[in-house]
Parts: sequence; structure tokens; C-alpha cells
Amino acid sequence: MKQAVEAQQAGNFDQAIRNYKILLEKYPNIAEIHSNLGAALAGEGRYADAIAEYERALKIKPNPQVSLNLGLAYYKAGQLAPAIATLSKLHREQPANLQALLVLADCHLQLGENKTVIELLTPAQKADPENATFNYLLGTALVRDRQTAQGQLIIDKILRNGDSAQARLLMGTTKLTVNDFSGALQDFTKAVELDPKLPDVYAYYGLALLATGDQPGAKKAFEQELKTNPNNFDANLQLGVLLRQDEENDRALQFFQHALEIRPGDFGVRYQIATVELAKGQLAQAQRDLERLVKEDPKFPEAHVSLATIYFRQKKKAEGERERAIVAQLNAEKQANSPALKAPQ
Amino acid sequence: MIPLLMAALVIRECARCHPAEAKAHPATSMARAMQHPAESLILQEHPVLAVKKGDYLYRIEKNLYTVTNGSASLTFPISWSFGLGDAGQTYVFERDGVPYESRVSFFRAIDGLDWTLGASDSSPANLLEAAGRQMGKQDAAQCFGCHSTPTAGSLAPGVQCERCHGSTEEHVATLKPMKKLRATDAEEISNFCGQCHRTWADIAGKGILGVNNVRFQPYRLANSKCFDVDDRRISCLGCHNPHQELDRNDAHYDAKCQACHAGGKPSAKACKVSQSNCVSCHMPKIEMPGSHYRFTDHQVRIARANDRYPN
Repeated sequence: MKQAVEAQQAGNFDQAIRNYKILLEKYPNIAEIHSNLGAALAGEGRYADAIAEYERALKIKPNPQVSLNLGLAYYKAGQLAPAIATLSKLHREQPANLQALLVLADCHLQLGENKTVIELLTPAQKADPENATFNYLLGTALVRDRQTAQGQLIIDKILRNGDSAQARLLMGTTKLTVNDFSGALQDFTKAVELDPKLPDVYAYYGLALLATGDQPGAKKAFEQELKTNPNNFDANLQLGVLLRQDEENDRALQFFQHALEIRPGDFGVRYQIATVELAKGQLAQAQRDLERLVKEDPKFPEAHVSLATIYFRQKKKAEGERERAIVAQLNAEKQANSPALKAPQ
Repeated sequence: MIPLLMAALVIRECARCHPAEAKAHPATSMARAMQHPAESLILQEHPVLAVKKGDYLYRIEKNLYTVTNGSASLTFPISWSFGLGDAGQTYVFERDGVPYESRVSFFRAIDGLDWTLGASDSSPANLLEAAGRQMGKQDAAQCFGCHSTPTAGSLAPGVQCERCHGSTEEHVATLKPMKKLRATDAEEISNFCGQCHRTWADIAGKGILGVNNVRFQPYRLANSKCFDVDDRRISCLGCHNPHQELDRNDAHYDAKCQACHAGGKPSAKACKVSQSNCVSCHMPKIEMPGSHYRFTDHQVRIARANDRYPN
């Protein structure tokens, strides 16, 4: 055990794993050996194996630190749903465990569940208003939730400590939400200069490049994000869209499928997968996927548009016209709710 | 730089067997959708064009496009002019082999320069951005794809025979029939013309609502109550002959409407108000902000005063 721990501490995970496995042959029911093996496997980036070992350890003996490690392993493996389940339980049991809270909040942030992040972090941020990590995560959630005024207060707090990539990323995100694309691009460019390794920075830089018409630049930015942060949802989704536009359908599909693993069931990604199928001439498959999608979300206009295209291609006139009528109805509702679009002709 | 191939060379081959189409087509707006600046009548008729927009002064003289902010200036030779000025003539210039769309365009209604459509939405960060918008690869492919014709490894300016009918090479060698659009149904024609004029799916899929979509005729037409995917009488080609210049006389289209509304289609009612100049009421002309042009709305309908612009 001593040798195994020493090897692990020296970063020799391979040796540590071998030693733990020998120990487990003799002592299969000692939780610490399983959890240590899990940590060594996680050190090697073998998260699926690490998760299995942590779960074995927890079955033998519950331990908050092992639960945290399990949550972290799920998080790093991009399995956000089980990460949230594990960390939520731990957060309920140990509300003072800040690491669990932060990772839990980041999981929700990656899923786009901004309101949950705000709910989770507001009390903790009030208790520790100068905590830079709390401020950054809470500020991000507020800005993404379009609560710009509250977000700005946090940005100001971050800026008091000087110009930083975090502050620039938040400022740029705020500008993106109000369609100030060139302003956002300037902030993201600066954020990339200040800290190119900041998670999400290249993804947002790519979004701003895309909005300002620089598709090749956006493509490079999304690729750069995925090099260090392969589970970034936006980078996977947007890179897939760009590849599909370039008719690289199979590559596009890989990124969409990974985006769907990050956010299972996401309507936008499922729609993109159907458009790839449509582009590949797999009409029946695309039709099936889109019909399922509009059943779950009857007000998804793009899905109805693609369905109409498929039906007309198949010479199913009645079905095509039905889909067009649905789109017209959705447009009419949208116009009725938009003062700018209500204007008489 | 896009290699220049004279449009005349492209259609000469076609004219041997299709003299009527070949004679009329070069005079159409589509055939002249892209021109070398030396051929642009607007530039010939306006030796100097100038406008001050924000902090920048724009000037076009002798086919040179200049932008200045008072302390510095940039000048580029115009490579191409896009459009004929009714709904704008925009200029394309190049810098280091990369095409840029001019930030200002000529508009016939004001007989001068104003923002190119979409350019007023953003503020330039520097002089080059003030001069124009850099066109990405896909962007350039789309612009040149609709304003010129790929032919024999080159591009011919404007929409020429091969843009719609496919390569002449095989046709001339084998006499195999070329693409005949008249044989396709209204939906297919709409999608074909919509490659450039935008299909219903293009616009509906992007959710572009309001008067800004009035210039996308296939989209608007497909939203019409009378649009029938199977009926060629309501297709683009039912009313327009792309080999001839657009007829701007409202009465020209009466017969097209009457083909259905005078008993030709049981579901099409006869108009109680008039049997002539149908389009003047049922296809109102609508100005799109910033375009200085009133587009004919192709969503055929009973347009009542104070009705909301549909779709």
C-alpha cells in the first residue's frame, strides 16, 4: 500500500494502478484501495474505470471525499447528469463543501441551466462576496440568463481587481446577449490574449467571429476550445454546424453526437442531426427524427420547415402543406407578440 | 482574382441553336447581375460619387474606391459591380487576394451612395473595416455563385445560360437535352430559382420575419394562399420568362392571374373589384428599410390597409 501511494504521489500512476490491483486481489473489500485506485485511474485520464472503482469504494463504505471524487470524475468525463446527481447529494449532506458546490454549479452552467446556478451560488456569494470563483460563475450565469444589471455588478467587482480574462469574457458575453457583436469580439479577443486556457474563452470568441461573418476564424476558435475543453457544448454544436455547411456531414455528425452526450435530448442538436440526415439523403431517418422532435416540441419552427421540405420531396403534398401552415401559424404568433413586427404594411 | 470570361463568348455557342433566347437574354438584369466596373453604366454616368457617412468619407472615381477618415485613406480598384442599382449596386474590391464588399452602395432612387444593406448594423473598428466587409470563402462562393456563371473552369459575369441549364460541353458534344425547367412543378421551380432568390425553407428556417423578407420572392410566393406545389401556373416561370427582361407593367400579369381566377381553377374565385391590374392590389409594393426600393411583395393576397405585413 505504501509503495502504491508513493508511486501515485510521484505521478507514476501506471505503477500505482498495478500495485493497487495486486492489493485488491488479496483485500477486495477495502474501500480505501478502491478509492485510491480510482484516483490513480483518474490521474491517467481513465475516467470510466475510475468511476467504477469509486462506486465500488462507496458501496463498501460511504465517504464524502470519495463522493466528491466520483462527481469530479463524471464531470471530467463529460457525464454531467450523473455528476449532478452525485454532487447534489453531497451538497445536501455537506452544504459547506465549497468544491462540491462549485463543480455542481459548473455542471449546471454547462447544461445551460443558468437559473439553477444563480439559485445555488447567490447565498454562497453573499456569504463570501470577494470570492473570485463564486463571482465569476455567478456573473456568467446572470449574464447568460440576460440578467444584465445584476451581472454588471459582479463584472464591476471582478474588474476592481484589474483587467482579467474572466472579466473580459463576461463583458463580451453581456454584449453578445444584446447583439453588439463587434463589441463582444473586442472583449473576447482581449480575453484570449490574457488567458487562452480559460474554459469557454475560445468558444465565445468563435461565436463572436461567427456573428461578425468570419466563419473560417470561428471554425479555428471552436477547434481550439475543444483541444483543451472537449466537453464544451457550444463549440461542439457550432463546429458541427460549420462542418455541415461545408458538406462534411460525417465529421459534423461526430460533433453533434458528442454535443448530445453533453446535453442529452437537446432539441437544437437533435434538429442538427436530422439536417445532416437530410443532407445525406436519408429522408426516412430524418423524417422519423423530426416527427419525434415536433411531437415533443410542437412549436419548433425549424423542425416543421425541414419536415415540409422532406414531405414535398416525397411528393406528400398534404403533409407538406400542413407543415407550412404550422410554420405560418407560429410566425403569426411571433409577429403578434413582437411590437416591431406588428407594424402595418 | 476571379478570371474574367466575357459573357458574349459563353452565349455564342448557345445562339447557334437558340437564337431567340440568346438575343434577348444579354439585355436582362440577370445577365448583367455582375459586371466589370468599366461596363457599369452607373459608374459611367456618375464620374464621381461621394458620400460622408459617420466619420468616413467615401468616394468612387475612375473605378477607384476610396475611404478616408480625414487623417488616413485607403484606395482600391473596384474589381466588380454587383447589381444594376434599382435595389442597389454594390462594389467588390480585393485586398491581398481576399474579396471585400463595399460598405456603401449606389441606389438609383437617391442617385447616390448610401449604406450597403446590413452595413449600418455594425460600426467599423478601423479604416479597412470602414471600406468594406471581408467576404469569407462561403460568403464569396454564395455571392459569386448567384451573380456569375461557372463555365469551363472559369466564371462568366452575370447569370448566363449554363447557370440554369448546366454545362454546354456535354450538350454540344452529345446533343443530350439540357435541364428543362418548364417540365418541373411549382415547388421544384421555386427551389431552383430560390437558390439565389431564397427558398421558402431558407427564410422560414432562419425565422426572418417582417418586411426585410420582401425581397425573397420564392419564399413570399410559397406563403400565398394560391400557391400550389403541383400547379406550374403559380410557379416563378408561370409569370416570368428569365430569357427576357422583367416586365414592369402591371397589366402584363393579368392574364397569368386570370388563368386560374377566370374559371381555370374551381377553387380560385373571381375578383369582385376588377379584372385588370390585379397585382397592383394583390401584390403591393413595399419598401424595405435601407434599400431605397419598393419591392413587389410576392405573397399574393387580399392586402387591406393597416393589416400587419404577413410572415
